[in-house]
Amino acid sequence: MKKFLAILLAAMMLLAMIPAAVAEETPEPWTVTVFRGDPGDQPTDDNKIYKMIEEQFGIKFEFEFLAGNLDETLGLKIADEVYPDLFDGGNSAETLENAGVLIDLLPYISEEKTPNLYKHIYTDDRIKQLTNEDGELFIIPNYGINYNDQIQNYCNGPAFFIQKQVIAWNNYQVPTTLNEYFDLIERFLAENPTTADGTPYQGFAILCEGWRHFCLINPVQHLMGRPNDGEVMIDVTTPEYKTETFIDKPYAKAYYAKLNEEFHKGLISKDTFVMNYDQYIAALSNGTVLGMFDQTWDFGTATQSLETSNMYANTYLALPLVYDPEYVDGKTIEEHYLNGSVMNKDRGFGISTSCKDPERLVQLMEALLSDEWQTILQWGIEGEDYTVDENGRMLKTREQYMNRSDAQWKRANMATAIWESMPKKQGTMDNGNAWDPANQPEIYFDQMSDYDKEFLSAAGKKTPAEFFNPPIELAPYGEAWQIDKAPIDIDYNDFLAIQDRWLPTIITCDPAELDANWDAFVAEITPSAQVYTDFMQAEVLKLVEAATN
Amino acid sequence: MSTVAKTNPGSALAPGKKKGFWFTLGKQWQLMIMSVPMLLYVLLFNYGPLWGWLTAFQDYQPKKGLAGSPWVGLDNFKFLFGREDFLLAIRNTLAMSVINLVFGTVSAVLLAVLLNEVRNRSFKRTVQTVTYLPHFLSMVIVVSMAQNIFASNGSVNAVLMALGLVKEPVFFLGKGEYFWWLVGVINVWKEVGWNTIIYIAAMTSIDPCLYEAAAIDGAGRFQRILHVTLPGIKSTFMVLLIMNIGHLMEAGFEIQYLLRSGLTMKYSDTIDVFALIYSFGSSKPHYAYGTAAGMFKSVVGIILLFGANKIAKALDEDTLI
Amino acid sequence: MTTATVNTKKRKKRRDIAFPIVNTIILCLLMFITLFPVLNTLAYSFNDGMDAVKGNIGIWPRVFSTDAYKELLQDSAVYQAFWISLSKTVITTLTNLFFTSMLAFALSRKEYVLRKFITTVMVLTMYVNAGLIPNYLLISSTLKLSRSYWVYIVPTMFSCFNMIVIRTYINGLPDALVESAHIDGAGDLRAFFQIILPLCLPVMATVALFVAVGSWNSWFDTYLYNGSKKDLYTLQYLLRMKLATTQNSSNAANATADALASSSKVAPITIRSAISVVSAVPILVVYPFLQKYFVTGMALGSVKG
Repeated sequence: MKKFLAILLAAMMLLAMIPAAVAEETPEPWTVTVFRGDPGDQPTDDNKIYKMIEEQFGIKFEFEFLAGNLDETLGLKIADEVYPDLFDGGNSAETLENAGVLIDLLPYISEEKTPNLYKHIYTDDRIKQLTNEDGELFIIPNYGINYNDQIQNYCNGPAFFIQKQVIAWNNYQVPTTLNEYFDLIERFLAENPTTADGTPYQGFAILCEGWRHFCLINPVQHLMGRPNDGEVMIDVTTPEYKTETFIDKPYAKAYYAKLNEEFHKGLISKDTFVMNYDQYIAALSNGTVLGMFDQTWDFGTATQSLETSNMYANTYLALPLVYDPEYVDGKTIEEHYLNGSVMNKDRGFGISTSCKDPERLVQLMEALLSDEWQTILQWGIEGEDYTVDENGRMLKTREQYMNRSDAQWKRANMATAIWESMPKKQGTMDNGNAWDPANQPEIYFDQMSDYDKEFLSAAGKKTPAEFFNPPIELAPYGEAWQIDKAPIDIDYNDFLAIQDRWLPTIITCDPAELDANWDAFVAEITPSAQVYTDFMQAEVLKLVEAATN
Repeated sequence: MSTVAKTNPGSALAPGKKKGFWFTLGKQWQLMIMSVPMLLYVLLFNYGPLWGWLTAFQDYQPKKGLAGSPWVGLDNFKFLFGREDFLLAIRNTLAMSVINLVFGTVSAVLLAVLLNEVRNRSFKRTVQTVTYLPHFLSMVIVVSMAQNIFASNGSVNAVLMALGLVKEPVFFLGKGEYFWWLVGVINVWKEVGWNTIIYIAAMTSIDPCLYEAAAIDGAGRFQRILHVTLPGIKSTFMVLLIMNIGHLMEAGFEIQYLLRSGLTMKYSDTIDVFALIYSFGSSKPHYAYGTAAGMFKSVVGIILLFGANKIAKALDEDTLI
Repeated sequence: MTTATVNTKKRKKRRDIAFPIVNTIILCLLMFITLFPVLNTLAYSFNDGMDAVKGNIGIWPRVFSTDAYKELLQDSAVYQAFWISLSKTVITTLTNLFFTSMLAFALSRKEYVLRKFITTVMVLTMYVNAGLIPNYLLISSTLKLSRSYWVYIVPTMFSCFNMIVIRTYINGLPDALVESAHIDGAGDLRAFFQIILPLCLPVMATVALFVAVGSWNSWFDTYLYNGSKKDLYTLQYLLRMKLATTQNSSNAANATADALASSSKVAPITIRSAISVVSAVPILVVYPFLQKYFVTGMALGSVKG
């Protein structure tokens, strides 16, 4: 009995000593509460990356993800007394800034204490664009800060799309203007009215559902040769950065009149204006839609579905169309769909006023921005998740690459939730490898299908991005769609709703009524368009001034 | 209350005029045990948060709270009633909820009566089970299906064309005029079985002797339905009707939000859709507009409720309150 | 007997045969109409995701797959969440039935002097809604119920609609039942529990169904108050989260080339369908047990006996 007690006592003492011993090596444990303004999966308890973070920094995370309406959720969180330490407001992070929930990060960032962060936001005078009027910085952008060379293999943003089979049918001659584009679709349709199984092709689809109405209302600026500024066109050649809404201008009428013409030729179906997103994706996935204006990421599911069913000929090629000279007083327009890398301003983690040790969290951000940690977060662990060949190139096997899109695997092996909202390095590493494995040329071409490889070589291109002009230099104001419209939101809502209501009517009306309808539309939209234009003009100038001074 | 005393003169617990209110209340302590805790409960959970209505008179900012937000008087209400789309939203809400109320009630009562006439028990159960299942489908799925069915090349148009009723497909989804009826039809489709449950339960309290007596009197099936079944569920029907009249300002928002498009916008947006868009539609949310719209809805709802209740009382029908 | 009456009798007989047939046809037609969306959803839920996005699936899967269910249910957190959901549904249903029916009885007593006042206060709860933020602050800041299991139970103990349903039913019972109990010297509590409650089984079954369905399918409370407590997640919240994640990853604005090479087997449409199926299953299991209470004449039959 005595012996047993002695052993028990010894064991207890040993147990008591263990935490003490550990405490000496690792910093004081801290559970950081995290809210993410995007849906996400809870990581597993033994997630390998979070375990490494905990071992090195003593920091554990308690995650909360968005499952309902973002703005509603943020409203509640703001009203509460205690905020999460790391607070990501998703696409509405301005709400957090406007409400004063976040702390200014600049006092914690300096060349000595946080060299990585300092370099990240001070290089190229980025800081001028990032800080607000009071010189504060609440959120370090989660995307859009490039190191070394930017890699762009394909266009992920807005473009006109056309099925690859149509281009192949046209002997790989690619249309470059609006008229050429619709002419090609018409000619193809005349010869091939239906798919192999007899389903009729739809020439051109326009998705108008909810916030995805950009497919309906955005194309004109691109046809005029500008990258994506949302609903305004900005003349960067003028010193005053002349800003105007384009939708109510005669050059916009040309586009919708063209669509009206194509509607009456049967290329556009009436149902396209009441189609929901699922129906749109279904139509695309069946390979029955020949063309549309959209953004590549918006129909990723359809692309995936087409590839899964081996319908590569029905996948889409992005095209940078412009107006034919006849629409714009005989001018020849040069396309600029691809823009310089845009900092994803006001998106990412902020630190809330409830956080008891902001210094330590900024230090964590700093450490995770180091090359070592960026490699771990983006590529994983060498040997397990990628290999390095004799030339120093980082490679992933097909399986290792595919793991990245397996939700279950990611829960256990990637720190997705943290990585998505933390400041990160993009572009290329100093040793020439791509920061994002998906951009690593070896990997990009390895996962490309044989059809696509043949298609590209027949068209005489190396990557899909080569169908575009190289990115132009980013304007000093960034991209105007990022500007927060809160001060004029009521007028802005009106401005959008009037377009939603009128444009389908204009496209489908009797050609004889087109002029009258257009005039009625312009008359109705002018007041809100004027408010919006004035606001945007002022904001653009503010940004330009901040960036150039 | 005066009629109560008349109908129940002998009861020792009836509020006697001589004994006084407090004396009677003391005698009714058991009824108080059964009701007062729940009264306190709703005062806390349902009436406690009503301070929130004060924010309808503020430019409310969640961070500043009620005390810190500036007061703006009736500005929020002025804004709402100055907007054409809000007035349209009131019209749409009322139109859709009246259609829903009529369609929903008639279909549920009709189905309940038909089910009540089924003698084969397993058939009856099967019908019941099958018809309430759509209640569990998410609205997203149901609306999506309806959009396929009512599309130009959908099955409804196919049937109409085959029957020669129309020459070219009807553009159900793109014409504002059809929107309200479409919402009504979809709601019935989804909820008819579920709405029946309450009437079926009410029918269990009908005395079977009444049916026998009616049969002996030579009443046919329709007369039995008319004179026994329907009177048997009348009180449930009346109470639900009054309750729903109070809810006429609520036509929901999910179905409209999913079904709307630019072409139907003037007919689709209800007060709830309006409030959602205006109160949360930007990075500087106008919570107060949502609250003001909600408060307006509540007040109108309560007026309708008491009105309906009063009319029912005047007609000597069952009342809610 | 005149020929005329014979004729009407015959006609009546014919009608008595015709009616059940017509009735059966109508009900079968109705079943067909309401069964279609259910079978269609079932078919989608058992279809391969990448094939399902093409649409046009009828009542049978085109490319059979259980991936959607695997994606939803293979998570080890599902079991914990299932127990949370089950236990809170049972507790909520029982507490709700207890308090709601007791109140319904009290408010059905015409002699109760507080009847009108309490009824009015109760009924108005269905029409006044303070809005999301005040309700949230009450439960989260004032009562400190967030991040706890109690938030599933305490705010859902009572529903006015159900109280009215029960009260209406009690009103339909003969007043003599309670009065005779009173004469026998029984108080209201005993009259309720011993005499009225047993007669209310059909309506109690109805209300139990309403409450249980509502509780089982709610996810918003978990989301609002327990979003950061993994151990307290309910099944519906977990499912909802999966759906949101699938939707998000299939149309993320920041999607890199991953989207082009993704091996994802599920699509929002299959996940959504599978969730609808999962939320209907428990009720399919419970309903047959409740259904036996929905039989005409049962209640009064027992009164007489």
